[in-house]
Amino acid sequence: MSTPGSPVTLDLHDIQGNIVKAYSRYDYSHARYVLFEITDGQAGRGFIATLAERVTTSAPWGRGSTEERPESTLNVALTFAGLRMLGLPQASLLTFSPEFATGMRGRGAILGDDGPSGPERWDPVWRKPHRIHVLITINGVSRDAIETAYAFVTDITGRYRAGVRCLTGHRDPEGRNDMPYQAASAIEIDGKPTPKEHFGYTDGIGNPYFKGTGEHPENVLGGGKVTRRDATTRAGWEPLETGEFLLGYKDEAQEFPEAPMPPLLGRNGTYMVYRKLHQNVGSFNRYLDAVGTEYPGGKEALAAKFAGRWRNGAPVTTFPTEAEAEAFAQQWMAAKLKIQQTPKGPAREEAKAAFAQLNAKFVAFDYSKDLPGAGCPVGAHIRRTNPRGSLEFGEAFAFDTRGALTNRRRILRRGLPYGSVVDPQDDTGEHGIVFMALGANIRRQFEFVQQQWVNYGNDFRLGNDRDPIIGNHGTTPEGKGDGRMTIEAEPGGGRPPFLCGGMPRFVETRGGEYFFVPSITALRLIGEGMVDPT
Amino acid sequence: MPNEAGRAYGLTALCPIKHGAEAPQPGKPARSFAARTRDLLQDLNEAAESPMACVPNTYLCRFLVLDNVAYQGDPAKLDRLRSSYLVFVADLHAGKKSEEGLRRYLEGMWEHAEPTVRSLWEHCVGFDTVSSSDAFVRYVKRCQVENTLYFNGSTDEPLAEQLKNLYLKQEFSRFAFEHQGKKGAELQAAFGQFLTRTRPHDLSGPTWKPGARTLDDAVIDPNPPPQYLRSVPTGASR
Ligand code: HEM
Repeated sequence: MSTPGSPVTLDLHDIQGNIVKAYSRYDYSHARYVLFEITDGQAGRGFIATLAERVTTSAPWGRGSTEERPESTLNVALTFAGLRMLGLPQASLLTFSPEFATGMRGRGAILGDDGPSGPERWDPVWRKPHRIHVLITINGVSRDAIETAYAFVTDITGRYRAGVRCLTGHRDPEGRNDMPYQAASAIEIDGKPTPKEHFGYTDGIGNPYFKGTGEHPENVLGGGKVTRRDATTRAGWEPLETGEFLLGYKDEAQEFPEAPMPPLLGRNGTYMVYRKLHQNVGSFNRYLDAVGTEYPGGKEALAAKFAGRWRNGAPVTTFPTEAEAEAFAQQWMAAKLKIQQTPKGPAREEAKAAFAQLNAKFVAFDYSKDLPGAGCPVGAHIRRTNPRGSLEFGEAFAFDTRGALTNRRRILRRGLPYGSVVDPQDDTGEHGIVFMALGANIRRQFEFVQQQWVNYGNDFRLGNDRDPIIGNHGTTPEGKGDGRMTIEAEPGGGRPPFLCGGMPRFVETRGGEYFFVPSITALRLIGEGMVDPT
Repeated sequence: MPNEAGRAYGLTALCPIKHGAEAPQPGKPARSFAARTRDLLQDLNEAAESPMACVPNTYLCRFLVLDNVAYQGDPAKLDRLRSSYLVFVADLHAGKKSEEGLRRYLEGMWEHAEPTVRSLWEHCVGFDTVSSSDAFVRYVKRCQVENTLYFNGSTDEPLAEQLKNLYLKQEFSRFAFEHQGKKGAELQAAFGQFLTRTRPHDLSGPTWKPGARTLDDAVIDPNPPPQYLRSVPTGASR
């Protein structure tokens, strides 16, 4: 059912660019993440005010827009400790959400950051949360672009050195652990950046679509919330409410989200979770090799069942066999090539439309024809983290809307891989994902997904089973992994389900924090010391 | 029907705690009766096993000390209880004749957990006259409040059935892990052994010990199998 009311128009010039844009989709395949400590409020405010002038906004780029696409982007986020150091009045500070005020480390028990994910194992810089105040994220189309933007940041840091210090203590692939920044970049194959992550999957496909961004309306397919109609068509989807991702707007509960005071401080801003996630590539590959020989579909199918997507990105619920997934990828590539090869005109438009139709197959699906999980396992990574209406378990109208249990748990995913895999059998190198999740409420969205859907299985009727890829699997007394997953079979198909046991932890936390991403207006207010909660 | 959901029964009893405090002991500050009762409950939290686990047919139970009712704010009336209460809430299997089942349950409680019952209720008004199973049943029934919105989170089978189900479910998942991929005669033979060992129809055992949390410390087996049959396959330990 659509919600009546006037369309949401957002002042995209006031909203930081990383909220609306996944930069890596715009060919920004390099990034640098820099942390700062503020030791003097006045200098700190000057620093923020200067940055506010340079922050990349969500305004559209290119055709029909006044904005040129820049070589690099720059965005700013603040921790609770940072806001305090910047001199926000106590009355304002108290209006931020409690989990944000506590910080990621303090929420470790909820997040499952235990054992090898514990803070003792984090990069040194993340181990002193009281000193982490400002995060600057730079994305660039090239390494040079990154260097230029970084030089700019270093320059203004120097200008405010009386009270602003860049924090060192990031680990890097050369084994240093005192780096002044975290580098990240798309994994390159044959010298070209790819959307792959270190386990070999195509990543960054699915992301929520919400009202007011000006994104192409077709992107509501798969990105919006499910209706009760066919998910392969536009009728199957509606945009999510803006307030799920931006403060100051109506959310899926038809309310304004809890937000800091005064309203201008929160409006057009949001919260952001930053997590440095190490990938045990050796363990993952060894597990796939070993169990892949026992699994009837083989190793690649096993990998697909873990993620809910084939490593080439094709959703396993739509393309149940490797052959189908391969054929689809080929068609997709051919359709893409055809656009380039077709001269401008109606034929080119036709080619584009054909491509768009294929492209939609990556995202325009739900699990309504796959409730028992014989296609995409109920415990697969993408089905856990976005169940797409399947929590009605086929009982139509179990809730008012089919997505009732999902729509308030969506997250905008940002970030890039870091490091590189030198030896695919080795766990210990520097490689993983800098994972960022944005949303209006960390507790309700990211933390819920992480605690209830990633590290527990009850909502899916999967008992204690965790997410196969990112779950914080424990160890048996003998020191082996104790993670497990059921790969469901077609009911009545004569084949038993396949049980994966003995899974070790494939992903471990190496640091992170909770941030607030202010609007440009709020950055100015903070920078000028004008936040007035009365 | 209040208090009932099929053959399950939801008992709620509010037992008034006496005003006043214990007689002071040398070197120890005296505790009020309500606070002392709460101390005892908190100590139960620390105990390795709940003394209520041995009371037949307990699905779930809970004790708490209620000092007062919550105030909802104006225009609601600010209510005050005349005393603190020991609240005893139990989900239990009562069978078709529910009042009869409740009586049997409370008798079982007296029979299997009398020391706990005596210490928890020690400071409740009028409990000093309770010295038999019958008197305990009468006492709790006098304190019972009707439960008109009862929801039972499990099936309504007798507890022994449920425990056997739980045990079999865990054992079966272990079996599935151990024998994945085996075919025909081999699988059948293994399943035969599984049936012999787990005795699906024998509620007396092997089965799940009431109150236990994991299979490894839960199994009650009058004739334990040889160790080599009990090795834990990886991943199946939960
Ligand atoms: C190293 C860690 C991780 C890896 C390797 C990983 C991998 C993947 C892959 C391969 C996909 C499919 C591509 C796509 O749909 O975009 C995906 C999707 C997704 N992941 Fe992760 N992920 C990781 C961490 C996380 C975390 C920590 C969360 C949240 C708690 C998360 C939430 C999601 C969501 C929401 C989707 C999209 C699901 C959908 O809309 O269908 N991921 N991830």
